[in-house]
Amino acid sequence: MLFNSLEFAVFLPIVVAMYFLVAPSWRIRVLLVASCIFYMAFIPEYIAILFVTIIIDYVAGIYLEKTEGARRKSILLVSIVSTCSVLVVFKYFNFFSESLAAALSFLGVPASPLVAKIILPIGLSFHTFQSLSYVIEVYRGHQKAIHSFEHYATYVMFFPQLVAGPIERPQNLLPQFVEGHKFAYEDVTAGLKRMAWGFFKKLVIADRLAIYVNDVYADPHSFNGLQLTLATLFFAYQIYCDFSGYSDIAIGSARILGFRLMENFHTPYFSRSVSEFWRRWHISLSSWFKDYFYVPLGGSRVAAGRQVFNLIATFALSGLWHGANWTFVLWGLLNGVYLVAGKFSRPWRDRLSAAVGIAENSLFRRATMLSCTFALTCVAWVLFRAESLHDAVYIYSHLLVGWDFNQIATPHFLLRQLPVAFLSIAVLEMCQMFGNRVDVPTFALRFPQPARWAFYTAGVLMVILFGVYQKTQFIYFQF
Amino acid sequence: MKAKLLTRLLSAKPRLPEAGSPAGALLKLGGFFLLLILVCVATDHAIDGGLRRIRTSRFGGWNRVMQGEVNAQLVISGSSRAASHYDPRILRQRTGLTAFNIGRNGTQTDLQFAVLKAYLAHNRKPEVVIHNLDAFSFVTSREVYDSVLYVPYLNDDGLYRDLSRMQPELWRSRYIPLYGYVVADMSFSWLRGLGAWLGIMPREDFVDGFDPRAKAWTDEFRHFHAANPDGVRWEIEKKGIALLEEMAALCRQRGIKFVLVYSPEYIEMQKMTRNREEIFRRFREIASREQCLFLDFSSWRNSGDTRYFTNSQHLNAEGASRFSNDLALALNERLLHAGNRPGEAQLVRTTVAPAVLGRGAAK
Repeated sequence: MLFNSLEFAVFLPIVVAMYFLVAPSWRIRVLLVASCIFYMAFIPEYIAILFVTIIIDYVAGIYLEKTEGARRKSILLVSIVSTCSVLVVFKYFNFFSESLAAALSFLGVPASPLVAKIILPIGLSFHTFQSLSYVIEVYRGHQKAIHSFEHYATYVMFFPQLVAGPIERPQNLLPQFVEGHKFAYEDVTAGLKRMAWGFFKKLVIADRLAIYVNDVYADPHSFNGLQLTLATLFFAYQIYCDFSGYSDIAIGSARILGFRLMENFHTPYFSRSVSEFWRRWHISLSSWFKDYFYVPLGGSRVAAGRQVFNLIATFALSGLWHGANWTFVLWGLLNGVYLVAGKFSRPWRDRLSAAVGIAENSLFRRATMLSCTFALTCVAWVLFRAESLHDAVYIYSHLLVGWDFNQIATPHFLLRQLPVAFLSIAVLEMCQMFGNRVDVPTFALRFPQPARWAFYTAGVLMVILFGVYQKTQFIYFQF
Repeated sequence: MKAKLLTRLLSAKPRLPEAGSPAGALLKLGGFFLLLILVCVATDHAIDGGLRRIRTSRFGGWNRVMQGEVNAQLVISGSSRAASHYDPRILRQRTGLTAFNIGRNGTQTDLQFAVLKAYLAHNRKPEVVIHNLDAFSFVTSREVYDSVLYVPYLNDDGLYRDLSRMQPELWRSRYIPLYGYVVADMSFSWLRGLGAWLGIMPREDFVDGFDPRAKAWTDEFRHFHAANPDGVRWEIEKKGIALLEEMAALCRQRGIKFVLVYSPEYIEMQKMTRNREEIFRRFREIASREQCLFLDFSSWRNSGDTRYFTNSQHLNAEGASRFSNDLALALNERLLHAGNRPGEAQLVRTTVAPAVLGRGAAK
């Protein structure tokens, strides 16, 4: 079920009403059933795959708690391998098979890839990682094993964050299932406001920009340098608004029910370095890789060469997590290279700035760093969005050539959409800048209720009027 | 007793629940959503009213139709080819009949028929209805193209019934405020509606429903040809045939002369249509069965001249002007001044030989 659908507009109030009307002991069942219905609205059969993952890690958690010594490691390994094998079969089988066949062909061994006709279950990478996070935390002794199957199943399947995160940690989410939530006006209104902001990002910005980006990236050879540049710039905002919009709606929906999910984004395009960008972008995934992959590899407390390897390996894996395509792997690698270059060039850059008399906190240096980070991110997004490496190379080589200001529109994106696209991005950035300086909920309380209601009503009306309603799926659902 | 009760009721202070309590919270939330719904309904109403008020652009022509202000003697129905090929000013000048074009961009016969029925329901009966044919006339619609045009009039039961048959989910546009303007339309027509509500009218680009295209020949046909090197086949749906027959029958029942016209099509495109012979055989059969005139302009004198077309299907303004002149001559010759005055029951049942008509019209 898509958040941006009429079905969800009916589904959520019913779930909220039922959740608060039933006895507290039944609430977990309401959430579990609602989550099943939510997931089955996509492809019903795939719920079985989800339950396989749930059962594996539920059982592993109990065994890990009961077992001591070296066997614990074996149980953890079995659990990780079994859970990941589901991911590998459904997400990476064709990719590995095609890559192997290509490698063999390159070596002169004729081979045709074995291709399985499998549709990737929605959000598989997300709930796999959430499930893994649980067994690892139980193994590390940071989390007690859950003996109630319905609690554990609801932890993995909790509908607001089931298909695209935030990837929750058991320590944050699991205790909330046993807390008694009360129907609280503050929670409901805070949740609704957060959802409205998410819908603005998704419907007004992301889905409008998607029309342009889809046209251009589907056939980059048919567009001039200006269109390619604009599409890349638009994609940076499309993916941000699509994914952070989803997170806002997820966090808002959960808040209405009384749950607090972790924040997933913190104005990432205001970052002044790529490493800062990754601390602000998809926070739940970045911290997952940091805690369960980068740090166990040794993190940054090792020799310089090993640090480089750790960073590159973490980002390559992160790229592969995003999609079974070499473009994603290269995107991850490129980000890893950015981080390595940023880390080791820092002293040199500082010396250069000092030599030319630019203070570290001067507006010029901050603006330059911000612009450079955004440009580097956009360059990387080309790899993320391009249909193939060939397309990505074409886009890179044509971004700055043949700009034609008379040809900006695309077949499906008429010129009249352009002012709305730019204006909505400007509104987004202004609101984010304001939100970074002021605590908006407290600020809003300074105004009388009629003024607040008028403002909220006008805001919702603007989202309704300027929204694009093409039932565009959230980009991260495919991961 | 009654007075006491009344006094107690009036003096009693309303006890609204606190926002902190669940009942109070629900009441406040209900109040907010009620306000939001009221604002949406009011906005929807303003857009509806504004769009109906427009007297220019494609909205203006349709408003005149739905508000019974056209009452023409000669009505042209059909697709975008009809809208852009028939200049009512020339037809009026040459035939002496007041004319209006109700051709609709992006439509098929089912939607064209719905538009014609709406015209007949709201205007005085015309003397002649010209229905423009396309090679794809027997293919029916899967959706109501440019549905925003019809949204302000979805409370018209006849129109709604016809349109919802094509697109059953049209009920959403009728009953959910703003749905038809924001979900089903991406061209910001709601802004036009609000603008018109405030008195700001869109630019006039139509003339009595006619959509003159001041454009030169484009690359579209070259791309189309490259994409379809083996030509194209248009489906012949039974439903499409039945619709055309129904349209002719309706006009016959009402005593309106019904004329089928195949307006000019770029000659190279004609060669690409692999089942053209069969399609035209069906047109001739329908004309014969329904006893109506069929004017085929396939061999129009300028059919091979790209100076008069914007693409393979559409004439430009200059081409439309030439074609309208030729059509008026043919109508005078075959229908109006051939012993068949407008309004008389007798009909000419000949299919006009295209080459003859082309030369005749060139006089």
